Amino acid sequence: MLLYIVGSLIAGIVLGYLLQRGKRRVDLSRVTFGVIMLLIFSLGFSIGSNDDLLGSLSRVGAAAVMIMLLAVGFSVVFVKAAGRLVRLD
Amino acid sequence: MIKYILLVLALGGAAGYLNSNWARVVENVWVSDYLSSGSLLLLLFIMGITFGVDRETLAKIRRTGAKILVVPFAVGLGTVLGGLVAGFVLGINVVGAMTVSAGFGWYTLAGPLVGQLLGAEWGALGFAVNFLRELLTILTVSLTSRGGKYVPVAVGGATTMDTTLPVIVRYSGSEALITSFSSGFVLSLVAPFAIIALASLY
Repeated sequence: MLLYIVGSLIAGIVLGYLLQRGKRRVDLSRVTFGVIMLLIFSLGFSIGSNDDLLGSLSRVGAAAVMIMLLAVGFSVVFVKAAGRLVRLD
Repeated sequence: MIKYILLVLALGGAAGYLNSNWARVVENVWVSDYLSSGSLLLLLFIMGITFGVDRETLAKIRRTGAKILVVPFAVGLGTVLGGLVAGFVLGINVVGAMTVSAGFGWYTLAGPLVGQLLGAEWGALGFAVNFLRELLTILTVSLTSRGGKYVPVAVGGATTMDTTLPVIVRYSGSEALITSFSSGFVLSLVAPFAIIALASLY
């Protein structure tokens, strides 16, 4: 899967670079929106059709929310602090 | 955007539930595997185009350079520390809480791996914590991107190299592509080792 991921990114970048040299205007925001919706739909579908996941969410949901929120909160604070430290614009 | 995301997510959830518990219209893998991977790869291809077309992105990346690796490092440390604090707050085993957080959002890895190492109950927690992280990243990207381009990347953890990359780039602009991808990539590499190392302290 990693190979496909990197492959499609690179293929897109090369094509985009060629289009830029050909001075074409590219607006893909509508296509992007449509495909993002497809992706979100399939994410929802995987959740709804996965009984193990639904079960684990109802059993350990509250603890999971707490761990997740603190993990995310500290990540954001650390990235902000590190960004200032090494001057990431 | 967020309205559509919630609506489509709920629709997908209902469809998935009905399809596996009521009437099987399609095989589950067609949607949860093929449609999911197909749309993801198509989206990454489109993101690549947007990135390649932008004349200024390369210059911006050259200016940032290797400093970009600071981001996954900070996210990794912050995540595990968050797990530690959560363990204390919840009064559960602190090392266990750190272990489940070290999936960095990669729930298909964290669930089974933690389950193998620490048992089914921790495995369920590992699944849930990391799945909720991915969900939160997608649902809050329109808000977090206002806090700076590294904030959604910090929230997303390991997911920012694939599943949440498209939404992040849509909100933070194509210059976020490399930061987002490299951070997610590094964290995805580290996640299995971090989980195994932390679980060995349990």
